[in-house]
Amino acid sequence: MQMEDFDQKRIHAHPITKVADDTYTIFSEMGFEIVSGPELETEHYNFDALNVPKDHPARDMQDTFWVKNKPGTVLRTHTTNVTARALEQANKNGVLPYACLSIGKVYRNEATDATHEMQFFQIDGAMIGENISLAHLKGALTNFYKKMLGPEIEIEFRPSFFPFTEPSIEVFAKFKGAWLEMMGAGMIHPNVLKNLGLDPKKVQGFAFGGGLDRIAMIKYGIDDVRLFYSGDLRLVNQF
Amino acid sequence: MKVSYDWLRSYIPSAPSAEKLAEIFTYHISEVESVEKRGDDTIFEIKILPNRAHDLLSHLGIARELASLLNIEFKDPTGLYKIPVSVPTQLKIENKTPVCRRYMGRIIRDVKIGASPDWVQKHLESIGQRSINNIVDASNIVMFDCGQPTHCFDLDKVKGKITVRAAKDGEAMTTLDNKEVKLNSSNIVIADDAGILAIAGVKGGKRAEVDAQTKNIIVEVANFEPASVRKTAKAVGILTDAVKRYENDLSPELCGFAMKELCGLFVEYGIQNFEEIVDVYPLPQKPRKISFSASRISSILGLKISPSEIENILKQYHIEYTTAKDDFEIIVPPLRLDLEREEDMAEEIVRVIGYDKIPAEIPTIDFKAKHNEIYERVSRARNSLIREGYTEVMTYAFRNKGEVEVLESASDKKFLRDNLTDGLKESIKLNQANAPLLGESEIKIFEIGTVFGKGKEEIHVAYGNKKEIKEIILEAFCKNLPASVVSDIPKTDDAKITFKMWSLFPFIVRDIALWVPEAISSQDIVKIIRENMRELVVRGPELFDTFTKEGKTSYGFRLIFQSYEKTLSDPEVNAVMEKITEKLNATSGWQVR
Repeated sequence: MQMEDFDQKRIHAHPITKVADDTYTIFSEMGFEIVSGPELETEHYNFDALNVPKDHPARDMQDTFWVKNKPGTVLRTHTTNVTARALEQANKNGVLPYACLSIGKVYRNEATDATHEMQFFQIDGAMIGENISLAHLKGALTNFYKKMLGPEIEIEFRPSFFPFTEPSIEVFAKFKGAWLEMMGAGMIHPNVLKNLGLDPKKVQGFAFGGGLDRIAMIKYGIDDVRLFYSGDLRLVNQF
Repeated sequence: MKVSYDWLRSYIPSAPSAEKLAEIFTYHISEVESVEKRGDDTIFEIKILPNRAHDLLSHLGIARELASLLNIEFKDPTGLYKIPVSVPTQLKIENKTPVCRRYMGRIIRDVKIGASPDWVQKHLESIGQRSINNIVDASNIVMFDCGQPTHCFDLDKVKGKITVRAAKDGEAMTTLDNKEVKLNSSNIVIADDAGILAIAGVKGGKRAEVDAQTKNIIVEVANFEPASVRKTAKAVGILTDAVKRYENDLSPELCGFAMKELCGLFVEYGIQNFEEIVDVYPLPQKPRKISFSASRISSILGLKISPSEIENILKQYHIEYTTAKDDFEIIVPPLRLDLEREEDMAEEIVRVIGYDKIPAEIPTIDFKAKHNEIYERVSRARNSLIREGYTEVMTYAFRNKGEVEVLESASDKKFLRDNLTDGLKESIKLNQANAPLLGESEIKIFEIGTVFGKGKEEIHVAYGNKKEIKEIILEAFCKNLPASVVSDIPKTDDAKITFKMWSLFPFIVRDIALWVPEAISSQDIVKIIRENMRELVVRGPELFDTFTKEGKTSYGFRLIFQSYEKTLSDPEVNAVMEKITEKLNATSGWQVR
């Protein structure tokens, strides 16, 4: 600490805000529309529209926060609800091709520890059009991670499964020599397109979603996710 | 699922090394959670993806997949199981529920209960299963081998016929592990004339347990609807390996193979007396077809896939197909319940050829993005507060009171916040206590976030210090902002950020002031303090006071002591301060006050 700094207020950004802002900028430059949506969400947009089966374990009270006295209402478990709403609206407005990106708080009912939080931020996005492919997904995400974590970053896809995408993949990024799991992604499942009023015979596209906190943790070497929500300036003042 | 390399190799003798195999799993099948050497064997912990649980929660399934994927020899065991001529049976099975899609039963007489052959024990132990007796072990081996759960009842303990039915409300059963379970009409059970024998797909009961005295058995190989098994298992709180397989949906076509394999093992044990199989299978699984084209698959993947490449893959996987130019029609293998549509075939093909073959292509689309007003407002509000000297914090959305409550929570805070102020107050208290460490005389913070009132959520802005906190709705806050406040946030340079976790031990503040001749700069003093302060100072020396009088200048510095290893004691800190004082006083004309 330089003594000149004493009592001279510096400008700090919360690391979550910083990573979120950079993310918005990178995706905006690629043409994505920034979208937002509700944190209290209907079962429809959080699960049904996304092709999550009625009896899927993700819907259990042990994983999802259900709101008391409001049947069918959950605290969103991902911001894919925002993507679903945005794709539906774009289609209603006759906007195609279309691309959107949202960042927002999501909630999971799980015990907290250094790597698990009941609340965290998620990046979620999609692009639809006539010929949008997995190669475009790889291009967009490679560009994102290179700009976010450094030009030396490599990314790779590994097999995965999600009810809302087919094919489904897990996105890994090689950061400081280690392959790290970053996101879930894939081509939007035809059932999801149908549920949102789109015709899977005419439209296809990719979708992706992953934790923002994790990017901040990796990028800045923060090893406890709970610090972000502790209201502690010992964290924020370092940024 | 635990997978034994040796077990796999009994089906695919030319499998690559365990190390190579782990890589193949990762890039073509699913995540490998661990690889562990155990004696001569290697045990993989593989996280089979939910859509492949139909066929891959089994050694045989994985071996079959690998043989096709790698185009290597697969030693099909089907033909090896030889059953002696079966005699007519009196076994009666009645299925009263569509939840049970197939029920195969077979009476086998004159079994001798004893220890399993070595290879059976070894296989089970390799994947962490305990050997119980030859009959139970055979049933377990079949499940871990082909994925189909089976069960054996002691025939002489069964009264009358076998019925698959809903439980009666309040009906009870004691499980094999002596747990008393109460059931209701939404649970499906296997029963005889005297009551429940087993909870369908979940757990066997004590009453017809195979024990050391067992002479004759009934073998059950059945298929149940996944949702029903999952619901019942959850309700009774029993999660078995059988449940894990049933709840992911198995093909009823698998029952036939499992019966063959299980009886084949019994023959190997020397058992000879088999009765005919009773097979209740009201609606046999119909063959399904999928049509797809090479061009559509290429368009989904963004990678040109030729019809001949697709043909090669279909051949490797022994999938029956017809093709004309670009178009394909396949008959889906019965166990591959995951293959339903063209997109599934796109995944199947790219999974085999490798995701690394997909090029990275930045998309360009003809679309003009709209402005996001919420984002812009949040940015403007944040920017204005940062410029006024406030720092952003984030606090928890869960509180112990509020308007909106969640049904169940892993935490004791079950309400969503209806204001930001309460969280901000706690944050101010925490930070005020750390103010010297932070080098701040006044804590000024803000939060922008969603709060949950009666029937609605809205974004609030709250800001303040220890005296006062103001909280208003985002829109209202922004209305009062001058137009000159823009949404561009002042950026902190990433290159200058080096995060360091702080010490969790208490800190100690010490000030030191001294007189020096007017010509001496504060830097000269800082140098000497630095040289003598040791690594215990986490902040400082920071100049907090300067004044000049009669040709002499007084400088005041603040030092914050803190250790990462322990709570510092006063004597430890005093010793450092004394040394600094001594060194400063050693220069002529310098005098610590």
